Amino acid sequence: MVDTTKNTKLFTSYGVTTSKAINPDMAAKMISKAKRPLFVVGTGVLQPELLDRAVKIAKKANLPIAATGSSLPGFLDKDVDASYINLHQLGFYLTDPKWPGLDEKGNYDMVIVLGFKKYYINQVLSGTKNFSSVKAISIGRDYIQNATMSFGNISKEDNYAALDELIENL
Amino acid sequence: MSKLTTGSFSIEDLESVQITINNIVGAAKEAAEAEEIGPMGPTPFPGLASYRDDWNLVLLDRYEPVITPMCDQCCYCTYGPCDLSNNKRGACGIDMAGHNGREFFLRVITGTACHAAHGRHLLDHLIETFGEDVPLDLGQSNVLTPNITITTGLSPKTLGELKPAMEHTEEQLTQLLATVHAGQESSEIDYDSKALFSGSLDHVGMEISDIVQIAALDFPKADPEAPLVEIGMGTIDKEKPFLCVIGHNVAGVTYMMDYMEENDLTDKMEIAGLCCTAIDLTRYKEADRRPPYAKVIGSMSKELKIIRSGMPDVIVVDEQCVRGDIVPEAQKLKIPVIASNAKIMYGLPNRDNQDVDATIEELKSGAIPGCVILDNEKLGELTIRLTQEMHPIRKAEGFREIPSDEQLKEWVDKCADCGACYLACPIELDIPEAMKFAKEGDYSYLEDLHDACVGCRRCEQVCKKEIPILSVIEKASQKLIAEEKGWMRAGRGQVSDAEIRAEGLNLVMGTTPGIIAIIGCPNYIGGSKDVYYIAEEFLKRNYIVAVTGCGAMDIGMYKDEDGKTLYEKYPGGFECGGLLNNGSCVSNAHITGAAEKVAGIFASRTMEGNLAEIADYTLSRVGACGLAWGAFSQKASSIGTGCNILGIPAVLGAHSSKYRRALIAKTYDESKWKVYDARNGEEMPIPPAPEFLLTTAETWQEAIPMMAKACIRPSDNSMGRSIKLTHWMELHEKYLGERPKDWWKFIRNEADLPLAKRADLLKVLEADHGWEIDWKKKKIISGPKIKFDVSAQPTNLKRLCKEA
Repeated sequence: MVDTTKNTKLFTSYGVTTSKAINPDMAAKMISKAKRPLFVVGTGVLQPELLDRAVKIAKKANLPIAATGSSLPGFLDKDVDASYINLHQLGFYLTDPKWPGLDEKGNYDMVIVLGFKKYYINQVLSGTKNFSSVKAISIGRDYIQNATMSFGNISKEDNYAALDELIENL
Repeated sequence: MSKLTTGSFSIEDLESVQITINNIVGAAKEAAEAEEIGPMGPTPFPGLASYRDDWNLVLLDRYEPVITPMCDQCCYCTYGPCDLSNNKRGACGIDMAGHNGREFFLRVITGTACHAAHGRHLLDHLIETFGEDVPLDLGQSNVLTPNITITTGLSPKTLGELKPAMEHTEEQLTQLLATVHAGQESSEIDYDSKALFSGSLDHVGMEISDIVQIAALDFPKADPEAPLVEIGMGTIDKEKPFLCVIGHNVAGVTYMMDYMEENDLTDKMEIAGLCCTAIDLTRYKEADRRPPYAKVIGSMSKELKIIRSGMPDVIVVDEQCVRGDIVPEAQKLKIPVIASNAKIMYGLPNRDNQDVDATIEELKSGAIPGCVILDNEKLGELTIRLTQEMHPIRKAEGFREIPSDEQLKEWVDKCADCGACYLACPIELDIPEAMKFAKEGDYSYLEDLHDACVGCRRCEQVCKKEIPILSVIEKASQKLIAEEKGWMRAGRGQVSDAEIRAEGLNLVMGTTPGIIAIIGCPNYIGGSKDVYYIAEEFLKRNYIVAVTGCGAMDIGMYKDEDGKTLYEKYPGGFECGGLLNNGSCVSNAHITGAAEKVAGIFASRTMEGNLAEIADYTLSRVGACGLAWGAFSQKASSIGTGCNILGIPAVLGAHSSKYRRALIAKTYDESKWKVYDARNGEEMPIPPAPEFLLTTAETWQEAIPMMAKACIRPSDNSMGRSIKLTHWMELHEKYLGERPKDWWKFIRNEADLPLAKRADLLKVLEADHGWEIDWKKKKIISGPKIKFDVSAQPTNLKRLCKEA
């Protein structure tokens, strides 16, 4: 098993609250327990090794995908429920209980994030952390301070292995 | 007495007594206010609350502040640090939202102060040099000062007449800065209102800065054919002495250029620069289209790179966007540094009162690493002579070479692959991977990092092996750097009244799809070519693309397959498909000025003291959108916020999420998408556009359709709406893979539909949205929530309605 709880050094924002470092099995458990989860993927997910795993996660956990940046083309022929939305806009809408969501069925209680520049997702999640009750789980290779739970700073290869373990546990 | 602004008088009974009054503070404003100068809006000389209720809160109701704190804590006073996480209140009572409103506001007033102080310096310097009566000859325009006029109500015609606008900006900045003190303003929404006000003042400060230099230093005057200027690190002739200037204030540089010309040195040495001083030195005395000899190296991201190259023989800095480590970095390569502006003195000794010869000897010997020279005459002579003399000395001592191949290999081999550089890099460059390949002899991965690298040196700060990683990247990119040669059009200045008259109708009707303003700093997400791609895409589609500052430079660095830059391919006028380089950062005032002129000149709206109405017009009718893709500085935040209060949305790069605030509307909340019809005061629904005033994008591919969409305005006529939708939908499909899901929200009747896909889209409206279609006539019978009424006058200001 890959230990994804190591190396939680911060290079983005600062403060007293930091996300809980978690392993893939715990991440899978949290995702499975969520009532209205949303899988938020950034443009970095277009790397083939990540894209393949992102599709598997979405299918296995039956997660709708918010494809931010220019990531949507990666999901159009993959038989998943993916919609484009700008990340900053999404972060804001997540803080509004009245947001009807991407499917008009209401706001979400959890976002799972993958494929972002760490400074960008961390900054957007600082809004949801401070102004909403939405939980955020980061499963990328960077430790994201403003998520609720996050993998630590790990190598690309360890990230791929961790995602494989997460898929197994979903 | 108090009515006097300037003048002199003598007291006859007292012999030999004469009192001269240069200026009474406040009197000019008083005189201006008393003067009958025609129609005047409700807010001449605005204060902190002037725009609040009438306009700012209207904007902020639809475009809600989105708070993304950089830190959980407030460390502002000795009560703290306080934990404000989850929007808690600190010891002083301020909450997380309020504190972050203050944090963003502080950035905005810092930027405003930079431009205003720059303007004050230039105004005083140029009045002292040329006198108060220098006319504001800015080209073929009657509306010379759109930003000053809508703010103060004044229309100054000479350098001296700019003083009241300058004083007003300074006075309000003091008032604004006071609100940051602990125990002052604590409401987030009011900080945002104050930020918007500060943004409007920023465009006044910028306008003053640029128009005084255009008028007094003979810069191009609204000239679409301003000359082309060489740009890039590869343009420097290494065999010539090289004087490198860095900063934003051209005042001192003009003396260097004058000295060069007087001593017949223009072809015997290189003078080139980084940041806006560089742009402005290529504008100096260019109104007569003299062939430019000054060159532009590039943006702030190149500062450390050009120093590490060892090419400069002398560096002169003035103000703003100048790195804090220039002296120690330059010292390593025996490059003297001259500080020429009191805003940056680097702890260096002041040599204003010393003989130039003695100072040159001191600097040549290395007794001092540099000095301060604020006396412009001395500065001009010393820097040019010193450059001539340092060149052979540095060459003889071998300071002109970047590291050898052996040294590069040694550094690369030292890498322990710990990954700390990757974690620290703000661009998240995979330096460890590039080093791994370099160890195997493949340096191409390191070379690939050159363009994206912003030259910040954070990687070196954390390298436990003390590898000078930036130098490693630059050495590996030597060939690429040598080929870094492009063309940029010298800053043309304002958009003329004639250009506004010619293009105004197309913009208001939407047949010219929009104005895309590409401005700002080099803290890009994926490298400097991003802005080139964006500019090219919009130019090909006949948008007007206006550029300034570092963005203007980077666009000129790239060539097409025929070896041509965009500046060579597209005209420099304010016209459909035109690429205008207005000039340096302070020329951003000309971009907002152009939008204001559309309202003032084309639509005959009162400009004087009438910001809200002008901004309301822009928001409703003028499809303009800004892009600050690499926004880094506090000035970028004030420029963008100034655009926002004037009804111009802006897309920023992902780094700008660190500004801690965006302005985004809820597209799903129909109550936010209503305006008044000025004919009768009735509410009318509008489409959700523009859907933000300030937000970030993740990639340049995402930014393009976002900007095309942001050019849609409630008042587009059907042809304009159809053209704008065509571009937005095509761009969305091209870059994001599919047709946008919300395109139908913008359709009022069948004429709004993009022509080429009209039949197909009618089918979608019927099948997916239940709209009724008369298929014989190909007309929409029912469905749209918004109606098209050619004579409707949408406004966000109820006071403008006839029934109000």
